[in-house]
Amino acid sequence: MVLTLVLAPLLLVALAGVLQLGALRVAAARVRAAADLATLVAVNDQDDAELATSGTLRLSADAGDVAREYFARELELSAILLDGAAVDIAAAADVAVYPSAPAYDTRSGVRYDRPTVRIAADVPVRTPVFGALVLRPVTTIHVLSVSSPR
Amino acid sequence: MPLLFSVLEFGSALERWLAQDAATVQAARYAGEVGGDTPELRRFVDDELRAAGINPDRVSVDVAPSRVAWREPVRVSLSSAYPMSIPFLFSTTVPLRSSAISRGEVNR
Repeated sequence: MVLTLVLAPLLLVALAGVLQLGALRVAAARVRAAADLATLVAVNDQDDAELATSGTLRLSADAGDVAREYFARELELSAILLDGAAVDIAAAADVAVYPSAPAYDTRSGVRYDRPTVRIAADVPVRTPVFGALVLRPVTTIHVLSVSSPR
Repeated sequence: MPLLFSVLEFGSALERWLAQDAATVQAARYAGEVGGDTPELRRFVDDELRAAGINPDRVSVDVAPSRVAWREPVRVSLSSAYPMSIPFLFSTTVPLRSSAISRGEVNR
């Protein structure tokens, strides 16, 4: 009886922690997929005139806007997990377009050998169970996604 | 005992949700490539789900719009019900929904 009374709260806390960690893992995977899909969509949008005349893969002039727009669209699908509006989070993201190669990332110094679109963002995710356990009620997921056409 | 089983069951459900999410992202990407809801896409989704250990017959797939034009967004949604049974507590099904958006790449 005493053992049960001692262990039950501990197990309840463990269960709540498992659920919150699991939900956080799902949120992190979704945020990562959102950034990946956004950069992929952006680099797939090629400058068709350039491609037709020279066969060169060159990013469309609006690649940065497309990346941001699709990042917002993808995040919107997981809006219930986010601590903020998807559009605002996407608007605050650092979207960089490197239309010609080689180029060096102004953020990380990484060299790109092909035209590249990069998204770096901090995405706040609700973690109410952590908040109830005297931890952070909002956890920020840092995401970095880079895509180049081949 | 029920609490221990709850940890295992919810962990398993979350793992299944992650697998379904991953399949959805791949499916959205492919839907953009083939221009919407095609037999190739359905086969692709089935293969992805099977590879993740999910029975495709128990997953419903929705592609909107079913035929996508160049540079138009296409949304793929997968939904399924995960049966959950906690001994001495309850048995239920948990709905798992996943969606992803891509863009049409077929210039018709």
